[in-house]
Amino acid sequence: MNFVAIKSDNSPLRSRFDSVSGAAWLLVGLCAVFSVLAPSFLSGANLVNVLLQATILLLLALPMTLIILTEGLDLSMGAVLSLCTVVLAVVQIDSGSIVLGLTAALAVAIAFGLFNGLLVAAFDLPPFVVTLGTLGAAQGLALVAAEGRTTMGVAEGLRWFWDGNWLGLPVPLWLAALTWAVIHVLLYHTRFGARVFALGGNREALRFGGITVKWSLLWVYVLGGVCVGLASLLLTARVNGGHPTVAIGLEFDAIAAVAVGGTAFERGKGGLTGTVLGVLAVGVMRNGLNLLSMPSSVQVAAVGAVVIIALWIDSARGKA
Amino acid sequence: MTATAIPLLELRGITKRFPGVLALDDVSLTLHAGEVHMLMGENGAGKSTLMKVLCGAYTADAGQILADGQPVRVRHAADARALGVAVIFQEYSLVPHLSIAHNIFLGREPLNRLGLIDHVRMHAKARGVLARLNLDLDTQREVQGLGVAQQQMVEIAKALSQNARVLVLDEPTAALSDRETQRLFEVIGELRKQGVAMVYISHRMDEVFSLGDRVTVLRDGKYVATLRAGDATPDELVTLMVGRKVDMSYHRGERPAPGECLLEVRGVSAVNGIRDVSLKVHAGEIVGLSGLVGSGRTEVARAIFGADKLTAGEVRFAGQPLRSSPTHARQLGLGLIPESRKQQGLALMRTVCDNLLLAGLKRLFPSNVYQPGRGHAEGRRRIAQLRIATPGPRTPVQSLSGGNQQKVVIGKWLVAGTRLFIFDEPTRGIDVGAKEEIFRQIDELVRQGCAVLMISSELGEVVRVCDRAYVMKERALAGELGGEQLTEANLLRLAMHHG
Repeated sequence: MNFVAIKSDNSPLRSRFDSVSGAAWLLVGLCAVFSVLAPSFLSGANLVNVLLQATILLLLALPMTLIILTEGLDLSMGAVLSLCTVVLAVVQIDSGSIVLGLTAALAVAIAFGLFNGLLVAAFDLPPFVVTLGTLGAAQGLALVAAEGRTTMGVAEGLRWFWDGNWLGLPVPLWLAALTWAVIHVLLYHTRFGARVFALGGNREALRFGGITVKWSLLWVYVLGGVCVGLASLLLTARVNGGHPTVAIGLEFDAIAAVAVGGTAFERGKGGLTGTVLGVLAVGVMRNGLNLLSMPSSVQVAAVGAVVIIALWIDSARGKA
Repeated sequence: MTATAIPLLELRGITKRFPGVLALDDVSLTLHAGEVHMLMGENGAGKSTLMKVLCGAYTADAGQILADGQPVRVRHAADARALGVAVIFQEYSLVPHLSIAHNIFLGREPLNRLGLIDHVRMHAKARGVLARLNLDLDTQREVQGLGVAQQQMVEIAKALSQNARVLVLDEPTAALSDRETQRLFEVIGELRKQGVAMVYISHRMDEVFSLGDRVTVLRDGKYVATLRAGDATPDELVTLMVGRKVDMSYHRGERPAPGECLLEVRGVSAVNGIRDVSLKVHAGEIVGLSGLVGSGRTEVARAIFGADKLTAGEVRFAGQPLRSSPTHARQLGLGLIPESRKQQGLALMRTVCDNLLLAGLKRLFPSNVYQPGRGHAEGRRRIAQLRIATPGPRTPVQSLSGGNQQKVVIGKWLVAGTRLFIFDEPTRGIDVGAKEEIFRQIDELVRQGCAVLMISSELGEVVRVCDRAYVMKERALAGELGGEQLTEANLLRLAMHHG
C-alpha cells in the first residue's frame, strides 16, 4: 500500500503559461502564414470579421473549458445551438416579441444543459455518450421544429445584436467579453471554480464535499446551456433567422479551441486564457482558409490537424 | 500520560458488515492526546475500515464513538471533521493544478464580502500553517510540481488548518527517503507536543518501536490486543497479527553453487541518470540491489530490461548482448516484475489465467493459434505450482489479494520461460504471512536454476534472502556486499556513506 502521489513534472508554476504561450505562438504563426498567402487577411475589415466570427465560438468554448476541466465533454452544443436558433426565430416571428423568443431559446438551451448535467452528475453516465445522445435528440428536434415554419426574417431589433455597436464596439464583442468576465470570476474566484478543477484533477479530494460536488458537475453543463442560449441570439441575428443545421459541428471547433489552448482532457489542467487564444487560432484558421477559397471539408481537416499538432507539441514537452 | 485521563477519542465495540463479509467485529480503540498509537495488522485485518468509520466514510452497524468521554454520532465526513479528525490518505487528496494554499483550504476557502475567494487571506493563512510545520514553500506553487514528501506535508498542513486533534496516518513513510522520513518524524514530534493524537498504520517494525507509544493489533476484523510499545517485541506483534507462530525461520538453507553468469552489466549509463553501473548475476543466485529511495535502483532495472535507453556500457544475458528492447529481453529470458504490479504488471480486469499466459503466448503457441485447452492447462499448472489462492483460473485478477497478485506476476514470467527475474520491491504492501510465501517462491525459482535480482528497501529482507547485494547511491554503484559482510548496518552505511 503506497502513498500514491501526484507524479511530479518538476516544473514550476509556469506550466500553465507554457501551454498558453504555445497557443500564442500558434496564433502568431497562423497569422503570419495567412498574411503571406492571402493578402486581404491583414486588412482591418477582415480582422474585425475574424473577431466577430470568433465571438460565437468563444461563447461555446468558454463553458466547454470548464466541462473539459471536469474530464467531461459536451458534444451536443452545436445541435442545441441550431435548435435554439430555430426556436428563437420561430417564436420571435410568430409572436413579434424578441424577449419571448430569447426566453424560449434560453429555456430550451438550459433544459438540454440540465438534462446533460443530470445524466452525468446524478447517474454517473459517461459525458461522451450522454451528449452524443442529446446531440441526436436536439438535431432531430431542430429539423422537426423548422419544418413548415417561417424561420427567416427576424426583427430588426434582434439583428442589432449582431450588426449593432455600443460605445464604438460591436455588440457581439461586448457579449463575449461579458461572458468571459463572468466565467473567469466563476472559475478563478469562487469555490465552485475550485471544485471544477478538483473534479478533473482529483475527484477524491472532494470526497468530503458530498452532494455539493454533484451539484457543481451539474452546473457546469447548465452553464454550457446558458452560453449556448446566448450564442443562439448572436447566431440568429447573424444569419437573420434560424436554421436547423446552421451550427452543425461547431462543438468540434470549440473542443479544438480548448485543446489547442492547453486544457487537457484529464487531470484538471488548463484555463480560460488558453481557450481565448485557441478560439482565435481556430478562427484565424477558418478565416484564412476561407479567403483562400478552401472548401469547408478542408477547413474541418485543417482544424483537426491543428489540434493534433497542438496535442503533440504538448506531449513532446512532457505535459500532456 | 496518566491512565485515568479521559481519552481524546474512543471507539467502542465497532462492528461493520458488508455483503458477505464481516469487516469489523466488536473492535475498540482509545486515543489519548499527544500519543502516537500504532495500528497494526495484516492486509484485510480491518485497519482501513476502522479508520473509515472514524472519519465518517462508513457508518458502523454497531458500537459507539466517544469524544472526550461523550458519545457522538459520526455519520458524515463533516461530523468527523467537526470532531477534529483528519486522515492523511494513502491516495493523494490534492488537486494537481491548484496552488498549495488553495489545496490546504479546498472547500473552505476564505471569502471576501462579495462572496468571492479572498486569495490574499488564503495565502497568508496558508503560510501560517506551513510555518507551524517549519516548512518553507511558495504557497503559489501548483501542487503538481512538488515531490512526494512535500505533498504529504501539504496534506498534513491541510489537516492542521482544520484544527485536527486526531490525525490518521496510513503508511506515511512508504514512499519517503530516509531524510524525508526524519523530517516527518520531527513534524510528528511537534504535533505530539501540541497534544494531537495520532493513529499510525505501518508495516515497518522499526517505526512502530521508535515512534509508537502504544500498539493495537487487529486480525481478521477482530480486536486482538493493545500493548505499550515498550513492553512488546517484534516477534510478539507478528504472532498477534498472524495468529500463529510465524515461520520467520524461512532461511536460505542449502542452495546450489552459483552456475553460469546469466547477467553481466558492464559500465552502464542510461538516459534515466544512472552512471557506470556494473554487476553480475549467476544462475542459482539471489542478488539484492539495495539503496535509498531515489538512489537509482529501479532505473538500473529498467536499463537492464531495455525500458530506458543506454548511453554507455553494455548488458549481456547468457553471453548475448541485449538490445535496448524489453521484447528482446523477454525473448532471451529476462523478466521484470515491477514495483507497481497493479499499474505495470497485471491486466486487472482480466482473469488469472489470461494474466498468467500474457507474456508467454508466443512461446506456448508458436503457430500463433491459441488453443484454449492447452492454455487453461498451463494456467492451472502454474496456479498449483505457485499455490495461488484463487477460486479458479477464470477469476478476475483484481479480486485477488496483493500477495496472490504478486504470484500471478511471477507465474506470468515463468510461463514466458524466464530465467532471470528482476524483482522491484516484491513484498511491498504485502502482509507478513504472504511475504514469507513470496520468499519461498523466490527460493524455489533459484533452486530450479533461475537467477534473481531483487530490489528491496527492506534491509532485513535483503540480508535474509540474498546471497549478495549491490548498493546504489545517487545513481551510481556504491559497493557490493556478500557473505559475512552482508549486514543491515553495512548496507545502510554504503547507501549513505560518502566515497
